[in-house]
Amino acid sequence: MRLAISIWNNRVSPVFDASRQIELLDIDDGRIKARSTHRILQNDLVAKAAYLGQLGVDVLICGAISQPLAWLLASHRIRIIPFVTGSIEDVVSRFLAGKLPDPQMTMPGCWGRRWRSCRCKGWGWRVRLDPLKGGDSYA
Amino acid sequence: MPEPIQKEVILESIADGVFTVDTDWRITYFNKAAESITGISRAQALGRNCFEVFRSSMCEADCPLRRTFKTGKPVIGRSGFIITPDGRRIPISVSTALLRDSNGTIIGGAETFRDLSVVEQLYKHVTGRFTISDLVTSSPAILRIIERLPQIAASDSTVLLLGQTGTGKELLARAIHNHSKRKDRPFVAVNCAALPDTLLDSELFGYKKGAFTGADRDKPGRFDLAQGGTIFLDEIGDISPALQVRLLRVLQEKVYEPVGATSAARADVRVIAATNRDLARLVEEGRFRKDLYYRLNVIRIELPALRDRRGDIPALIDHFIWRFNQLTGKSITGVGPEAMSLFMSYDYPGNIRELENIIEHAFVLCDKGLIQIQHLPDHLVQHLAGQQPGKDLRSLARNAEAQLIRDALRRNNFNRLAAARELGMHKSTLFRKIKALGIEVPKGSRGSSSRKPAT
Repeated sequence: MRLAISIWNNRVSPVFDASRQIELLDIDDGRIKARSTHRILQNDLVAKAAYLGQLGVDVLICGAISQPLAWLLASHRIRIIPFVTGSIEDVVSRFLAGKLPDPQMTMPGCWGRRWRSCRCKGWGWRVRLDPLKGGDSYA
Repeated sequence: MPEPIQKEVILESIADGVFTVDTDWRITYFNKAAESITGISRAQALGRNCFEVFRSSMCEADCPLRRTFKTGKPVIGRSGFIITPDGRRIPISVSTALLRDSNGTIIGGAETFRDLSVVEQLYKHVTGRFTISDLVTSSPAILRIIERLPQIAASDSTVLLLGQTGTGKELLARAIHNHSKRKDRPFVAVNCAALPDTLLDSELFGYKKGAFTGADRDKPGRFDLAQGGTIFLDEIGDISPALQVRLLRVLQEKVYEPVGATSAARADVRVIAATNRDLARLVEEGRFRKDLYYRLNVIRIELPALRDRRGDIPALIDHFIWRFNQLTGKSITGVGPEAMSLFMSYDYPGNIRELENIIEHAFVLCDKGLIQIQHLPDHLVQHLAGQQPGKDLRSLARNAEAQLIRDALRRNNFNRLAAARELGMHKSTLFRKIKALGIEVPKGSRGSSSRKPAT
């Protein structure tokens, strides 16, 4: 399984849409077999999603991500764990322990939303427009 | 009123978002407008790193506040975007300043930001500068189109867009243009069905002074206006045989003759044509030239009808409500469950445009809160009521929802995972609805759950 984490200053990059670097981890049987860092040169959302698809990424852990980019990644069958915050090592160890997403490592205001660990094939029948008020949930 | 309280009142009343950070980048103040723009409450924001809360495109590469800390100078009106908890990109402009105590020691920084969503919406409407990000979809069919779009945009080949009215053909044509090397040149859209043939001829190719009575000066045609850019020929299936010949010449030889001209003009124009008609059938019937059809049919994109991408309906509703909230200043929060069932079961002959009109109608009747069935146009409610006369709205909506799920299950051979994907809902939501609505699923049908099918 190939895991990608968007990184910045040894942390999860705050905005994947603007992120410039990812760390790739090949994980087998719960252990890291290989680790490498890659620059993301693509600014364009389609190209960025395609690049991760070419790298064979199965799961992406990232910070904030826009819906269009999430949809494009989903079309490459990439599972996204979005709105994650924290140091890379903490995030990796939580992931290996099967404990991501984790409310302690989620960006403020983002826990419990439909984004959680989405494969993004569908967003659920939810219409939530004002995150402060919670809106209506139909899921 | 003491001065600090006065300042607080002022900061809370302004429309711009304001937050302050200490020297460790922790948020120390977060005003009401900042809550509203970012979608994050003050309680959630205070004490957290600003980049975790603000999540702007500038945080990583070129944080304006970091620059202000370095240089001591304010940054004014830097543009970027932030991402809200529901994944929406909000365009913003940011200004920064240093915070000092009474001794002049730097104790932090302040950032003010303005939501430019309305400005951007209006700009896009006026200029037509739509991009891939403006396409609201999670539909696999549309995503396949989006994935190919950069290559299609990079080529200079003619594109033929096929799809029913209101499926977004012009939006896609604009997106292709705006991702192409011609993006800084004009995009000219022509509705070929809107003008009589003789007018369309001079409208497309222009005319020379004296070409006919009343032609007292040269008039450039749309091809001339689109030089270096893209021309979008909508309703191409409706043009006359004579015009088809002239258009064929443009596509083959890249030249055209304005009416009354003695020499040909060069056309450095990319052609994107669109139609809601079955061009292949028109060719068979001899009503559309075969050679023109093949010239147009270089890159062919078929846009699915909205009823074939129902999973996008909630996201599109979300998008339109957000947009009308911005434009009207109302605070509609969403759609009630029964109204949503109606939305999901309707067939939308007018596609996305019709959905947009329905939401606009609801905005007239609904002031705030959720859009309910009573806010929807009569024809939509009657569409359901006509199918099952004598039932109340609640049970109509319930029946519509059940029918929708049954249809999706049948189309997917009762594979519940596939049906959930098509309907744009999570599989466990579908399982719950199957049970609640008493939908029968044949035993042994596929699904990830080991639960027994509801009967």
